[in-house]
Amino acid sequence: MEVRWKHVALPLAMGVLFGVVVAAQRAGTPQPSGSNARDISGFWELSLDGKNVPPASLTPGVTKAMLDAHAKHDAHAILWCNWLGVPAAMDSPRPIDIRQGAREIIMSFEFNATPRHIYLNRSTHASKDEYDPTTSGDSIAHWDGDTLVVDTIYMDGDKGVTAIPGGGFRTSDSHWVERYRLLNNGAVLSVVSTWEDAKVFRRPHTYEFRYLRAPKFYEARQPLACDPFDEGRAKFLSQPPAAAAR
Amino acid sequence: MKIYTTTVVAGVGVLLLVGAAFLPAQQPGAASTAKPDLEGGWVRIDFTGSGNYNGLNDSVAPAVLTPEAAKTPAPTRQGGPGRAGGRPLSFDENRQHTTGEAYIVTGGGCSLPGGVEPNSSAFHVVQSNDEVLIVREGPVMPRTIYMDGRPHPPLGRWEPTATGHSVGRYESGALVIETVGLTAGGVPGGGRRTPETKLIERYTPSADGKRLTMQYTWDDPKIYQKPHTYQLMAERVQGGGWAFEDWCDSSDPTQQQSIVPPKQLP
Repeated sequence: MEVRWKHVALPLAMGVLFGVVVAAQRAGTPQPSGSNARDISGFWELSLDGKNVPPASLTPGVTKAMLDAHAKHDAHAILWCNWLGVPAAMDSPRPIDIRQGAREIIMSFEFNATPRHIYLNRSTHASKDEYDPTTSGDSIAHWDGDTLVVDTIYMDGDKGVTAIPGGGFRTSDSHWVERYRLLNNGAVLSVVSTWEDAKVFRRPHTYEFRYLRAPKFYEARQPLACDPFDEGRAKFLSQPPAAAAR
Repeated sequence: MKIYTTTVVAGVGVLLLVGAAFLPAQQPGAASTAKPDLEGGWVRIDFTGSGNYNGLNDSVAPAVLTPEAAKTPAPTRQGGPGRAGGRPLSFDENRQHTTGEAYIVTGGGCSLPGGVEPNSSAFHVVQSNDEVLIVREGPVMPRTIYMDGRPHPPLGRWEPTATGHSVGRYESGALVIETVGLTAGGVPGGGRRTPETKLIERYTPSADGKRLTMQYTWDDPKIYQKPHTYQLMAERVQGGGWAFEDWCDSSDPTQQQSIVPPKQLP
């Protein structure tokens, strides 16, 4: 009876171990992005119902003339296909390709915006003396539990589209904090933005975008064309609809 | 005694299986799939031809074209959006420009198509589990390299682009990229390409991780008598660095400037 038990128990134990080995082998192979709560890699798209944006509370110093000047500046940037910059790039009409590595995250856009670089291997911003402001600024990030906290400064207040969702505009002194978190088992990416700028906002301005994960085999497309020398397009953008139609 | 033998055999089996669990998953006979660390910024270093586009091209061994391909004229670069109105610009990457002969390289537009080879700005690589993304320092088309095992799409359903459709794998410490679906055009060394032409690239970092060798092999029996191969080198941007932004404003008339090749020193 003792011998029979061994004949059953040993193959059974070997079988269990084989299962453990196979599982361990699979654990070592790359898994699709998104299966890890601390990996936001994927193609992410913003739907019409993906924005929760309250109106910003602006300082009294932000006059109508200032807002008009910024609106004119942004219209010029769009007309001439300037690099859009942030936060406009995050409101992309196409999926955003977000890829997370060990030391850096890159976001790539399918329109005229430079890629965003978010550094995971720096805990402090670059020196102001060394960093030339850009349309995307200097972004550093760290994980706070399952939330990726991205801190951005050194955005150029004179380049690209400066409008901020909810009102106001970015300046070279703006400070932007984003909190990225995967929801619904990785199907949704929540990004809560908070802007601080004493010259623009009376108090920190917070809004949330929720992006949907694009299908697994989504294929990146050619960026949307932007031809600043297309006269028909220029007319469309700069004249009232009735005049542009003529 | 019989019991001891069974126990020993089972014990050895257990040890072998547990040991196997810690070996990398690999098919018998397959090359190593170890993932090289390519992440970060890289800047091309060209040992020859600096300051002269033609000099760079001259450093590439001439492509051996089929007689049929040799009969067709070398393609010229087409103007993109710009004041040139999309007509061919006078810049022909396969033609020597004499000293003092002005030629225009852009029509003033800032939307550049990008390409498979890095330009003089830094390029940046990030490796996620199922994709490698390579971007330049401007809003040009990125290189999206799918690592999830998907095949190329049928070319009949693919609109050719400057970066084509790329799939990749790790092999012997290198990132191997296979690309098809590129727009028709020229290739360094007098080569040509069509959407059907296959490009294989091998990105291999040096042992210390500071240098990157990028080997390009163009293969197309209609164009080449033998695969056309050359390589470029890049140097890693050292830790603490960041990506720059090549600002460009199409409303600035100076964006459309002629280049006059300077007199070369003897």
